[in-house]
Amino acid sequence: MSVTPPPIKTEIPAHVPPELVRAIGLTEGPEFLAAPHAFMASLQHTQPPVFFNTSDNIGNAWMLTGYDDAYFVLRHPEIFTTRGSVGFPRSPDDWFDFIPLEIDPPQHRRYRGIVDPLFSPKAIAKLEASIRALANELIDAFIDRRECEFTRDFGRPLPVSVFLGLMGLPQDMRDTFVDWAVGLLHSQSREVAGNSMRSIAAYLKDVIADKTRHPDDGVISTIVHTRPDGEPLSDKEVFGFVFFLFIGGLDTVFATLNNVFLWLAENPRRRQEIIDRPDHLAAATEELLRVFSVTFAGRLLTQDHELHGVQMKKGDKLTCILPAANYDPAAFEHPQTIDFDRPRKPMLAFAGGVHSCMGAHLARLEMRVCIGEFLRRIPDFRLQDGCRIEYYPGGVVGPKALPLCW
Amino acid sequence: MAAVTYIEHNGKQHQVEVNDGISLMDGAISNMVRGIIGECGGGLACATCHCYVDDAWIERLTPPSDTEKEMLESVAAERRPGSRLSCQIPVEPGLDGLVVRLPATQF
Repeated sequence: MSVTPPPIKTEIPAHVPPELVRAIGLTEGPEFLAAPHAFMASLQHTQPPVFFNTSDNIGNAWMLTGYDDAYFVLRHPEIFTTRGSVGFPRSPDDWFDFIPLEIDPPQHRRYRGIVDPLFSPKAIAKLEASIRALANELIDAFIDRRECEFTRDFGRPLPVSVFLGLMGLPQDMRDTFVDWAVGLLHSQSREVAGNSMRSIAAYLKDVIADKTRHPDDGVISTIVHTRPDGEPLSDKEVFGFVFFLFIGGLDTVFATLNNVFLWLAENPRRRQEIIDRPDHLAAATEELLRVFSVTFAGRLLTQDHELHGVQMKKGDKLTCILPAANYDPAAFEHPQTIDFDRPRKPMLAFAGGVHSCMGAHLARLEMRVCIGEFLRRIPDFRLQDGCRIEYYPGGVVGPKALPLCW
Repeated sequence: MAAVTYIEHNGKQHQVEVNDGISLMDGAISNMVRGIIGECGGGLACATCHCYVDDAWIERLTPPSDTEKEMLESVAAERRPGSRLSCQIPVEPGLDGLVVRLPATQF
């Protein structure tokens, strides 16, 4: 597939009220880069619930910060479509959809049905032992050194290895995949992102050809050989599906783990609280996912729609700032308090509605196993002296490096 | 409106009034009943609102759609004859007195 980056549109439509036009530096400004989740929480009182953000990097779009508003958008794909909403460079002349995210219901179900059994709670639970073993293998490699660079030694390799295993890809591709993911997702240069995308595209095409000839029980092979209506998916569909899993599955758990372990390193008493209540780990994980959410939900309006008195028009772009919505005080009392006994309520780390994250159960399991095993083996750790935490700009929120010692 | 009793896995009971047209899943979440997650908000995409409908009530509900049946194969807890996804059961006056039990885990 050709990947010439189309130019980003930065005009402000005439119907946008000038007083709602902002440039908040979402995922790129100094406030975000200094402390992204504090910035997300602050949006609840520094910005109106609907505003129009301008940015040369991510493009102009309506932004929503409220929990109920985000939930409404996510649950109404007929008004807020995901079609063409993924912001990765694709050539308009050789377009492909990111499947299943960019497909509206009811066709969406045709694709989710292919992979849901592979990512269901039941299927994912079977992976627990192997993920636990992998976590311990990684810890074995650095525990005696009494220090690690968490993102490189643990946060990155763990989800990438799990992903490669699930997909039916060789583990020796791990470092290459890491490089591609960094280039694609964290480069501020559209050229670098385009190059990474070309490399990934070329590799995945070979893999798809290989799986066509040599089926196995991995996800890629399942997609290649599925016959939803008696017919196989087209090459473009297979590619868009597999490529989407790649971008959805590699970076999100990585970033979340890094956020969580930075917090654990800086909060020894809260760390002890988790250690002292091993049977409460799932609830603790859930609360940490709420406060350290890493992704956004982009949509396009299929019709005019009014929200909080603001008139949005068909064709407008809109983004739900999910990491901010999870700090909405109307949904979560004292939202900045990390409370492992908080009453259960769906949080938006995995979005919601028909496009809710298909990897959510896997992500939860990986988080739970990683927190549990790391704290069991290394209960007391801290940030290395003199290190300064810097965050990646871009749409998956997390620190670039996390030097720990114990 | 119907009075619905949700019984958590640990035996804790919640009797709540749920308005007509609201799903059993939404009825649980808006009344802080633990044990139902409903992550996808009724999109038949997550299998985290699994419940067990009491025997006396199963026959009185609209049977599950094919998609619901498909998703029920994916639930984390044991699937039983009364297994349903609570997001697919809209409350109506005829369901007054309905009892549903919640599994130990949704994922």
